[in-house]
Amino acid sequence: MFDYLIRRLVGTIPVLLAVSVIVFLFVHLLPGDPARLVAGPDASLQDIAAVRAEMGLDQPLPAQYLHYLGQTVQLHWGRSIKTHQTVAELIGERFMPTLLLTVFAMLWSVIAGVAIGVLSGVKRGRWVDRSAIVLAISGVSFPGFWLGLLLIDLFSVRLGWLPTGGYGSWQHFVLPAFTLGVGVAAVMARFTRSAFVEVTAEDYVRTARAKGVPERGVVWKHTLRNALIPVITLAGLQFGFLLGGAIVVETVFAWPGLGRLLVDSVAYRDYPVIQAEILLFSFEFVLINLIVDLLYGLVNPEIRLR
Amino acid sequence: MPRLLTRLLLGASLMFAASGAALAGKDLVVGVPDNLTGLDPADLNDNLSQSAARLMFEGLYMLDENMKLQPQLAGSFEANEEATQFIFHLRKGVTFHDGTPFNAVAVKASFDRAGNPANHLKRQSLFVMIDHTDAVDDYTVKVVLKYPFGAFVNDIAHIGALIVSPKSVQDFGKEVTRHPSGTGPYEFVSWTADTLKMKKNEHYWKPGLPKIDTITYRSVPENGARIAMLQTGEAQFIYPVPPEMIKSLQNSPTITVFDEPSILVRYIALNNLRKPFDDPRVRLALNYAVDKQAFIKVVFSGHADPMDSPMPQLLGFYQKQGSYPYDPAKAKALLAEAGYPNGFETTLTGASNTLAQRGMQFIQQQLAAVGVTAKVEPLEAGVLTDKMFNVQKPEDASIVMLYGGWSSSTGDADWGMRPMLYTKAFPPVLANLAWYSNKMTDAAIEEGLSTTDPTKRAAAYAKAQAQVWKDVPWIFLSVDHDLAAYSKKLTGASMRPDQQFHLTADATLN
Repeated sequence: MFDYLIRRLVGTIPVLLAVSVIVFLFVHLLPGDPARLVAGPDASLQDIAAVRAEMGLDQPLPAQYLHYLGQTVQLHWGRSIKTHQTVAELIGERFMPTLLLTVFAMLWSVIAGVAIGVLSGVKRGRWVDRSAIVLAISGVSFPGFWLGLLLIDLFSVRLGWLPTGGYGSWQHFVLPAFTLGVGVAAVMARFTRSAFVEVTAEDYVRTARAKGVPERGVVWKHTLRNALIPVITLAGLQFGFLLGGAIVVETVFAWPGLGRLLVDSVAYRDYPVIQAEILLFSFEFVLINLIVDLLYGLVNPEIRLR
Repeated sequence: MPRLLTRLLLGASLMFAASGAALAGKDLVVGVPDNLTGLDPADLNDNLSQSAARLMFEGLYMLDENMKLQPQLAGSFEANEEATQFIFHLRKGVTFHDGTPFNAVAVKASFDRAGNPANHLKRQSLFVMIDHTDAVDDYTVKVVLKYPFGAFVNDIAHIGALIVSPKSVQDFGKEVTRHPSGTGPYEFVSWTADTLKMKKNEHYWKPGLPKIDTITYRSVPENGARIAMLQTGEAQFIYPVPPEMIKSLQNSPTITVFDEPSILVRYIALNNLRKPFDDPRVRLALNYAVDKQAFIKVVFSGHADPMDSPMPQLLGFYQKQGSYPYDPAKAKALLAEAGYPNGFETTLTGASNTLAQRGMQFIQQQLAAVGVTAKVEPLEAGVLTDKMFNVQKPEDASIVMLYGGWSSSTGDADWGMRPMLYTKAFPPVLANLAWYSNKMTDAAIEEGLSTTDPTKRAAAYAKAQAQVWKDVPWIFLSVDHDLAAYSKKLTGASMRPDQQFHLTADATLN
């Protein structure tokens, strides 16, 4: 088990290296001169040259890459072009808000999604199932920014119960975590239902029923456990996506997260921040995949990790 | 388990208490659209960070809420007739937030630092005309210029020339952008992710001021959410407000809407070197083809004014030129006269934000009515900047019609004309994206800079404006309004015409 973990973690190094090259080329090939953008529309050529030298962009591209790689290997991420803050500090400030928001959103939406999915799988074709489908489709189709604004209007402006946005106390989490989770819950419900229905048709479920296992056991033990494998995969993927920052929700609720930072950085051509963020997201994805693999083994002992 | 529950409840009630306390007292929250980029005045170019820096720093001179020059850290100045030498008499008894005294040495250090090319600061071009700065005595500073520069006092009223404590520069170097120390009414407290906090400067040189205890800038990018913040009382001032939302706010009993002209002009720069726009009759025709009143109604819900000169009204030395009224028949006749009886095809390029796209689509429809088929090309900011400025020779320019705007950041006529209408301002040097070149205009712009005498400057800029209006290098569209909203409990807050949040030193919050 321990060997397996080490091997998987070492295996991420070539992935991250490849990502670093691709991201570096990608940001440097984007049209748009960052020095001009940073210096502003009414900057003189001197001002722009000053910014370019400051950013090290007057160096040839391979030299810039080697410098970047050397720094990255030593975990020096450099400084933001926009704010002069170190990239580590900049990302550090926004990492916790994004992580906490993701965890809260995933927590309620996975529980609710799986519960609704199982319920409609058990009662398929009945009114519970039908209403769950309507709910799920609405959940996926509701645009996040619209739902967010409706919630702000109801709970903040009209009722005055919750703040309109920002990061701070637990009240600040309620609306963004709910908005962010709605889509996830809907997808989870749909997916759980179909996985559940599929497993219900398996021979071993029929056998379980035939040998007299109580219905509760059939549902929770024989069916759900087997249906959970694809559900866990999906939850892992969703978690990874949300960790990349939920741009729409962060924007509507003025949440100081990584998604807005990335959008701002791309608009500003803030190379060091873009590069570091993409590397971080890649690493997170690799890590989540690993955790998902470990969870497989937990849910179904037949899956062995070597 | 019960223990955990009590702990949770206790925590929750503490948080409630904390959020409740933040609402009491004289704490001003300003809802703004973006994050700050820094707080070192010499290294800023965005309106938002500049407005924040102005609460903490002061200059020798300043522009007030009407863009009028007012003495701030200087009491008065003297200049020679050729506009090459300026002597400033400084205010006494002023200290920086870090406790060090404000004096002539600090002014010299501040100017020397900001203008030194080795420091790579974004506003160094403001200081290129300075030959040297001398501290004559503790409270007298002499600035000697390399060449005459009539707009110099406006130049040093610019944010880039605000006075930074020399000690803070010594202590923090480049990091001074996160450790600002000036002489302004508010002191820096903290700046994290999207929140800037400032508190009252207890030792401010104007006795009894300021009257507000703390100021918080909060970045809220979504327009609707920002308005909600004001409605719930989480913020007391928000900007910008999108023009289509003004009406809904005007009915609120607790909110005041701010709707005043700015100095941002909107126009379409036509490539004057390129066919068909090299023919003045075509350029004139397009000016008659656009209904400016309808443009303002559709794009800005009526919250803008038509341009009646190449300069906005609130800029010094503005002179009204007239109008090119909506007259599609005349436009068609002019096009036919120029050899385009069936119009032509062209591309209209601009930014990709909602207002710019709405504006471009409106122009597209208006031009279609006189037979001109314009393709609308909205571009992301980085790509657009590249297309505008990555041009070495005029022939290489890839933009023929640019939906653009300009606001003079110094508040002076020179910077309101020279960057876009002077021959030596062709890209990549500056933003003359019409590639407009006229010797008469060039001469008038140079004349305006060669003296400090206001009557001579006024005459020069009158000449320049008349010439440009006659040459029609642009389709003259509109002058934006500053749109903001604030709580009725707040006084002394406004938007300056250069689109910066402005708080008078005696502002109050009840």
